[in-house]
Order: sequence, then C-alpha cells, then structure tokens
Amino acid sequence: MPIVFAGAASHAPGMTAWTEAAPKQQADAFLGDYRKLGLRLAASNPDVIVALTVEHWANFFLNNMPAFCIGRADHYDGPIEEWLRIPKARLRGDAILAAQLLDACLDGGFDPTFSDELLLDHATFLPLHFLNPGMAVPVVPVILNALTPPMPTARRCFAFGQVVGKFLQKNSKRIAIIATGGLSHWPGEAQHGTINIRFDQQFLENLIKGDYAKLTAYSHEEIHREAGSGGHEIRTWIALAGAVEGWKAELLAYEPVVPWATGCGLVEFHQ
Amino acid sequence: MSLYQLQKFIYHVNRDAAQRERYRQDPAAFIKGYELTDAEARAALDVNVRALYSMGVHSLLLRPFTLLHKLSNEDYAKALKNLE
Repeated sequence: MPIVFAGAASHAPGMTAWTEAAPKQQADAFLGDYRKLGLRLAASNPDVIVALTVEHWANFFLNNMPAFCIGRADHYDGPIEEWLRIPKARLRGDAILAAQLLDACLDGGFDPTFSDELLLDHATFLPLHFLNPGMAVPVVPVILNALTPPMPTARRCFAFGQVVGKFLQKNSKRIAIIATGGLSHWPGEAQHGTINIRFDQQFLENLIKGDYAKLTAYSHEEIHREAGSGGHEIRTWIALAGAVEGWKAELLAYEPVVPWATGCGLVEFHQ
Repeated sequence: MSLYQLQKFIYHVNRDAAQRERYRQDPAAFIKGYELTDAEARAALDVNVRALYSMGVHSLLLRPFTLLHKLSNEDYAKALKNLE
C-alpha cells in the first residue's frame, strides 16, 4: 500500500502546556480541528506513521548536527519536557521500515544519518498526542535540522521529501506521513510573541496552490527575517509537499494564537 | 569568546540529570570544566539572561536554562527588552 494519509501541523507547546492562556474559543476551535485531523489519520488505518520532525537540542548538539536523521530504533521515549502536560510514553518504532528508508535515501542521492536511540520532545510528541491518541501506531521519526544554521535549503528539503515519498508509495505497509513545526514564531527570542500572519498566509497559499517554485525558493534569510527562528520548521512542511507531490493541500485551520506565540496551522493533503 | 563552550555548559545542565545535579551543588566548581572567558563565566553564574543572549546563546538553550532557575515568562521578556 502507498501513503494513505498526509498532513502537517504546528506543535506550539502552549497548545497543551498552557492551553487556557489562549482565548477559549480560539483554543477550542484549533484543538478541535487538530483532533479532527487525528480522526482522519485514524480512518486511513495506517500501519506506521513517518514523522518529518525537528528537535530542540534533545539529541544533538553543535559537536554533531545532522541535516537529516532517520530514527531506526524499536522504540522512543518522550516527551522530554516535564511541563508539557502530555503523559510520558514509550512509542513503538519501526526499525525495518526505517532501515529500508535509509537505503532508499542513499540510492536516491541523500545521505542522512541514522540513530538507534532518539529522545522525542514536544516537536514530535505534541502532534502525536492529537494525531495518534494512545500512541497506538508505531512511528519512524525523520529529523530535519531546523534548529541551527547551516540548515538544509528549502529546495533540498523538498527533494529529500520526494525521495522519501517515492519509497513510501511503493512500500507494502499503509503509511501515514506527517510534518510538524512552524509557522512563524520566535521562541525564547527578544521578539517572542510576534506572529507574522502575512508570511504564514502566503506560505499556506503557496502550499495550497502547489506552487513548488515558490516553496523551494524560500531562503534561510527570508524565513529567519519573516518567520523567526521557529519559522525554519516550515522545512518539514516543504519536505512533505515533496513527498506527496501533486497532492492537493486542504487548509483545516490557521490561527495566530498570541499566548502560544505561534502562527498555528493544520493542513491535510489529498491525492 | 568561547560560545561553543558556553552553550555546551548550558546543554549539559539542561539535558543531563547527573550533570545538572553536580551544577546545582556547586555551580562555580562545575563551570570550571568549561573553557570560558571571565565574562562568560560570570554571566553564566549570575544567570544573566540579557548578557547570555547577547553573547549568542541559542534561545532554545537559554530559555530552558532559565526555566530551571524558575524565571517567569514576564521576567525573561523583561530581560531581553529592546534587544534585536
């Protein structure tokens, strides 16, 4: 079976850690849509979830920072944050699919690192909390460096996604693929709390139109200036667009949630 | 300037429970394990948010480090006020 579900979602920790700081109506609407996306994922009955994700100094430091890393473990523990208000869990992995994916990347012109032990933080656990209730479905995390420069370019992320998607489409398992991160936010920075609605909406429009030329043309500098250090995480969305190239993106929700300090988006892709 | 060492110190305190405990017991002794300038060591020991940020410590290392020191969102924001 090929890819049976594809979706992208923001992972602002405030969604669970300080939910009630947001206006109730806004929080209820957005998190309701997040759960709706989870129901759609469940309805696709996947054997495994491939998560195009990022991390925030959970595993890697400046002594060794991979551009792309594929998790090849049998399980993953998380979330590492005590304050996230998401129960700690041991998440099943899929080492076989991960190993096959690594081979496919190497054959396809990419050389990701691999890891048989990854700790997952809110970047992965928060979306799975909504999209994979009870952590029932095994996960293969694929970490992109959206944390510290130099980062893989938007063009390279899209191409990486194409290689990943091409392999997954031919796999015998039913695969859900998700991207997590963004949209504009400046976590822990002097501009913390800023949300660039104009940038977010333009990005979502590019995604919905399937404008791959624009999606792959985002420069590091533009993202950094317009969407903040957290905005670099849109690389996972761009990679997902590459993985399901030709699929139509549907916007489920966009909310600039000031107390969560993030432009929050939810998108599903349809074949 | 030894930003790498400064961030390494913070990364270890943030991410490694055993090292965090050693740091908590004697910060001044713990920090000697890192090659820091006097200004960096002072900023680190004082948990001087504005100085550490200005030295280039990554925000996602700095904020968790300050959370370990119970710094509120408001006080964190105040410390960075009017910085670029």
